[in-house]
Amino acid sequence: MEDNREALDVAARAGEILLASGAEIFRVEETISRITQAYGVTSSDAFVLSSGIFLTAGSDREREFARVRHIPLCAARLDRVAAVNQLSREIVAGKHTPSQARERLDEIEKLPPKPRLHQILASGIGSACFCFLFGGDWMDSLASFFAGVLLYVYLLCLARGRLSKIASNISGGALVTLLGILLYQLGLGHHLGEMIIGSIIPLVPGVAFTTAIRDIADEDYIAGAVRMLDALLVTFCIAMGVGLVMMGYHHFIGGLVL
Amino acid sequence: MNIRILIEFFAAALGTMAFALLFHVPRKYYPYCGLIGGCGWVCYELLLHVCSAPIATFFANVLVVFLSRLFAVRKSCPVTLFLISGIFPLVPGAGIYWTAYYLVTNELDLAGARGFLTLKIAVAIVLSILLVFELPQKVFSFWRKDRP
Repeated sequence: MEDNREALDVAARAGEILLASGAEIFRVEETISRITQAYGVTSSDAFVLSSGIFLTAGSDREREFARVRHIPLCAARLDRVAAVNQLSREIVAGKHTPSQARERLDEIEKLPPKPRLHQILASGIGSACFCFLFGGDWMDSLASFFAGVLLYVYLLCLARGRLSKIASNISGGALVTLLGILLYQLGLGHHLGEMIIGSIIPLVPGVAFTTAIRDIADEDYIAGAVRMLDALLVTFCIAMGVGLVMMGYHHFIGGLVL
Repeated sequence: MNIRILIEFFAAALGTMAFALLFHVPRKYYPYCGLIGGCGWVCYELLLHVCSAPIATFFANVLVVFLSRLFAVRKSCPVTLFLISGIFPLVPGAGIYWTAYYLVTNELDLAGARGFLTLKIAVAIVLSILLVFELPQKVFSFWRKDRP
């Protein structure tokens, strides 16, 4: 009887980690039902939204169990998705008791994020590469690299935890545009547009967009719509940040230089 | 021209790997992410000579999603790991910028045209993801690595 409870607990926590790390609804539901079935719980039923998990169980033969978890939208942690997926495969293969599985989940939750320095450099390199792909030359890519690096320094050190998503995306877009204009005026880089395009790419909501489409394809319309709204909102915020600074620049310069 | 394509392949691959890091993809999958991103971009660039941007995006993204599913089956891990970073080179970042730019410079017809083009590209991405995910899992499992 008590074992039943522990198994459901493991399933709920696995689902929780998956959902918080940016997995699709379908994957969360499937993982929960696979784990509960692997531990021999037949009466469980999970209902998953983009911001919460409802898991209940109970029948004539099995004890009642209910759990509701609220999960805020947060940043993608695909390493956790991969780790939980691996764990769920192992559970289905019968390799873990519920308490062992719970220890593994504790470890997965403690997986460290990539070091900040790596993230900052990756943002710079990504910006430079995409600036080049969209038609910038070497100088533009270099400028884009600096803008991308500073963008992530700003996001990781100043914005995270202090600013709302909307505010940090508007200000991020504005910051990148401002840096682009500054470097352009200093003579580093020749195509202002390509420089800015390269360095707004780290802000673009690729995870929310992709996951939203997959949720809608799986007919999880509520979660898909919420995530699509999230993606659209972030996109508009970036455009607004870029637009605001551009407007100021044109006003200042008189629209002649471009 | 050929050298330019080769350089672009590596730039797209490197950029995709950088984004894989930002989304915390485990390190051992970086090369696959890079390969997928690079292939997607080269396919897009080549198709751009013969058709419009949304159609080129559609076919390039079909390739990206197909490869992502293939590697996901091969490595038995979630397809999201490859898909999210692989899609990045095709995401219309340029469209967002030029739409915002033309809006604030008051060239509204250009802004409208750019905005619709961006929307079409986004729809092309959506359709290609939907299409490839309709394929049954069997199509991909021929390449499964059988574990002892």
